[in-house]
Formats: sequence, structure tokens, C-alpha cells
Amino acid sequence: MEVNNANLANQIQDPTKSPSGLKILWKEIVRDKLALISLILLVLITVFVYGTAVVLDQDEIVRVDLFAIHEPPSEEFILGTDYGGRDVFGQLIIGTRNSLSIGFLVTAISGIFGIAFGLIAGYFGGYTDNALMRVLDFFQVLPFTMLVIVFVSIVPNYTILAFSIIMAAFNWMGIARLIRSKALQEKELDYVQASKTLGTSHTKIIFREVMPNISSLIIVTMTLNLAANIGIESGLSFLGFGFPESTPSLGTLLSYATNPQTLEYRWWIWVPAAVLILIMMLMIRNVGEALRRATDARQRRG
Amino acid sequence: MAILEVEDLKVYFPIKAGILNRTVDHVKAVDGVSFSIEQGKTYGLVGESGSGKTTTGRAVIGLESIYSGKVSFNGTDITNFGRENSALRKDVQMIFQDPYSSLNPRKRVLDIISEPLRNFEKLSKTEEKKRVQELLEIVGLSPESILKYPHEFSGGQRQRIGIARAIALKPKLIIADEPVSALDVSVQAQVLNFMQDIQKELNLTYLFISHDLGIVKHMCDDIAIMYKGRYVEQGTITDIFNNPQHIYTKRLVSAIPDINPRNREKQYRIRQEVQREYANSFNDYFDSEGLAYGLQPVSDTHLVALPERG
Repeated sequence: MEVNNANLANQIQDPTKSPSGLKILWKEIVRDKLALISLILLVLITVFVYGTAVVLDQDEIVRVDLFAIHEPPSEEFILGTDYGGRDVFGQLIIGTRNSLSIGFLVTAISGIFGIAFGLIAGYFGGYTDNALMRVLDFFQVLPFTMLVIVFVSIVPNYTILAFSIIMAAFNWMGIARLIRSKALQEKELDYVQASKTLGTSHTKIIFREVMPNISSLIIVTMTLNLAANIGIESGLSFLGFGFPESTPSLGTLLSYATNPQTLEYRWWIWVPAAVLILIMMLMIRNVGEALRRATDARQRRG
Repeated sequence: MAILEVEDLKVYFPIKAGILNRTVDHVKAVDGVSFSIEQGKTYGLVGESGSGKTTTGRAVIGLESIYSGKVSFNGTDITNFGRENSALRKDVQMIFQDPYSSLNPRKRVLDIISEPLRNFEKLSKTEEKKRVQELLEIVGLSPESILKYPHEFSGGQRQRIGIARAIALKPKLIIADEPVSALDVSVQAQVLNFMQDIQKELNLTYLFISHDLGIVKHMCDDIAIMYKGRYVEQGTITDIFNNPQHIYTKRLVSAIPDINPRNREKQYRIRQEVQREYANSFNDYFDSEGLAYGLQPVSDTHLVALPERG
């Protein structure tokens, strides 16, 4: 026993501190150079886009100027102009901001709701699980694109928040299902049973015991969902059901490529947006992968 | 007065079948078990795997729903432990079998052991830390370990953390579900002796679930042998080990290894004989379904499941 205790004491270098969760995540990202570069670029893009968008005047950018139609990149217009004579660079900045905002909002709303839904269904199981999963099934069989299009056309006040809520309302089922299946496994483990015998309330067990233990799954899904949601928004805007041209997004810029003339001869209108979508998704994925490793002590590099 | 009384406890698990998923039958995991434990005593539940001993323990603490029967603690009915009597949670705690899954891997030792304290006692951060360090000292771990995570400990040390958590609220009854079966034999003795020490110190009552007769002999005052959800024999240590009445108990007792090599031949012959008796008289001791009969008293403390004669 004496020896044992001495060994234990030796193992502790600094008994006052132990690495917190955030520190571990940070260490892992620093160790993975690709993820670090991705994160820095992502932060730079985000800061730049949100910062510049404050300075830029959206009304000024989206004003039609018939004397400057289809200008190629020049000193005045860094990335040229579109068919309405609108500055593509300005649209790109504001469009990226809008797309990012929607991506974050949709991920946050659908994530919070989906996680809570899945955890409750999985943890309680039985009748609760059955009832909740039938509600989920109902939502899942609804045609997503059609309903979003319908809601988008009937909503009176079409803002970024409104669009995000509509998208999130039909987008939480996947994560809920995933979390439920994990929660079903997790609740059978002894530590959950132990918490019950120790008198911890169900709410506390669900959110303080079970949820941290599936956090790796949550982080990975949320990060991948973020990339996917930016993609879905761009897709809807591309189809013409996102924002009007007065509110640019990456998707509206891309949709100019539906015109064969633009696609072939006016690359400056759609290539930057396409490249930006690609780069951002790749970077988000890199960061997500590093975070996933960080949440599992066995896979950590840091 | 008995601290824990269990009357005719039944835990059935439904078997669902058919298109409508109706309950067609039940698995009778625990089928009419009654016992009572006095304050400060250790009551052993012994049986092979699947005999329902763990289910009995889990039903008492409210982790399995009870089909019928009654469980009372200090005279209070705790059959529906899950919903009511949350105050009594303090007095009944459990030590789990597997020290690897019973501690939340995401929580530090401090948070694990202080979980019951946070639920029932309003302590300041410093008081809480002091209590946890005291508890760690009681279970023989270094008080500096409070900021470590469970995976940094060995199995034996983890089980001690589990015990520290169980005794944090100074409970009156601890249900120990095979507390040492996942540990090395050398560590087993340590943990068991330690459990006896704190039993004396805190006047604890144990419901000790095990399949190891040697350990049960070492730990318990009274024991019960279970088979297929029913009691086969119940009595004090001397009743069971020196005067086994039921053929199943005889077989179990004869299976305990003898440390003296000179008795090897003798032991072998006894075992052979018991085995023969078991094969021959199985039908006398078990009913047509292979289940044990109701308990008949042999003496004041000794009950055996024998068919009613005459």
C-alpha cells in the first residue's frame, strides 16, 4: 500500500492542475498541422468576411448598373461584375457571410433540438422512445426540398433567421437518430446505473453523464453537418429558392453558372464562389477530424 | 429489527412475440425470494450465473422493476424505489461488479466521488474537496488523485473509488454485486478486508452477491443459495457449510478446493459420490420443471427447499 501511494504521488507532476477539455482539443489541433492551417484559414476567412461586410454597403453592391454589365476583373471591380453590373467581389463577401451565418444557425438549431430529442428517446427507451421515434419518422418521410420551398415562399418576413429555422425544422432527424442509437447503448452501462442509485436526477444524468460520453459523436456530426448545411443552402439558392439576388449568398453566385455563356466565358462570376465553398468544406472537415481524435484519448496525437 | 426485508420478491422479464408484439410469457429471473438482514450483518447471495442473484440485488435498489412482492427498508416500503423515497437513496448504495464500466470515464475522481454529495448535501467547494480526500484516504488511495481520470487507475484502485463513492453518504445498507470478481486474487483479499474494516467502522449492512463460496464464507454471517430464480437453501454459515441439506448445496460445497494435497484423493471420492447422488436424486429435489421446491425449515435458522413430505 505504502509503495503504491508513493508511486501514485510520483505520477502527479502538478497536482493543482489537470488539463481541461478545451485544452485537450486545442492541443490536438496544434499537433495536427493540416487542422491548424485549416482552422487559421477558416478563422481568417470568417473574421475578414464578417469584418468587411460591416464596412460594405449591401444596397450599394446589389444596385444594378447597366453601364458596367459583365465587366471582367479590373482595378475598379476586383472580380468583375455580373449581368446586372453588380460587383462580384462585394457579393462574394456578403454572400459568404450570409452562407456562413445560415450554416452556423441551421447547425446550432437542428443540433440542439436533435441532440435533446435523441438523448431523451434513447435514455428513457420503451414507450417514450417509441412515441418520439414515430414523430421522427413522420418528419423523415416529408419531402425536404419541396417543403422548404413551400415554406420559403409563404413566409412573410424572409430573413436569414427565418430561413435557418425552416431548414433546421426539416434537418434535425439525422442527428437525432444517431444520438438516440448511441444513447441506447450508453444508458445500459454501469456508470449510468450507478448515477441512478446515487440519486442523480434523469435530466442531470442525460446531460451531464451520457452527453459528455457521446461528445465525440456530437462534435463530428455537428462539424460535418456544418459543411453539409452550407452546401444545402447553396444548393437551394442555386435552384432559386434561397435568397433573392438582393441578398447574395454563395449559392446565388453559383446559380449564375446556369447560363451557358457565363459558365463558359465569364468565369470570374462563379469560380470564386465554387472554390470558396470547396475550400471551406474541406477546412471544416479537417478541423472536425482533429476534434474527433481529441475526444478519444487513444487516438490523440497531442 | 431487520434493516432490509424482502417478501416474496418476483422479477419477471416479458417475452414478446407475434405481430402485435404481445407478451406471451415471462422469464422468471427471480421467483419468490424472501429474506431479511439485520443491521451490521452481511447476507450472502450465492448462485451460478443466471440464477437471479444480481437481479435480486438490482431489484432491491430499484434498478429493475419488481413484478410482485415487497421490499421494505427500516420498515418503510421501498418497492417503488425509482419514483418515491428519494431520501432513502442516501441509506442504500451499491457497489458494482465491473470497476471498468461503473465509473464515468469523462469525470475526474473528485467529480465521481462527490456526485452523491452534490445530490444530497449542500457543501462548499472546499468542504467537498476535503470530504473526497478523506474518503480517498479511507479506501487507501492517495488524496492527490482527485484530479485524475478513472483510466489512470488499476482495476483494484478503481473498485476502491467505487467503494468510496458508495460510502460517501454514510449509507446503512450496501448492495455489493460481485465486488471483487473482476479483480486479481491478491487485490480481492485487500478489497474484502477493507470492506470488513469499514463495515465495523460505519456499522454497515451488506447484501453480498457472489458466486465464490470461499469469499462468501470469509465475509458473510448468513447465506442463501439460489438456483433458477429460487432459493435452494438458506441459513447461517455453519448451517450451509457444515450441514448442507439440499443436493445442489452439497454439490457446491464439495466443489470448494481443499488446500491440503493429502486430501486430494479423499476430496475426489467425495465429489464423485456427490455427483452420483446428484444425478440419481435430481428428481427428488427439483420439481418437474427443474425448479426448486418451497422452503421447509430444518432448524430455526436453516431453511431448505424440499418437497413436502406426507
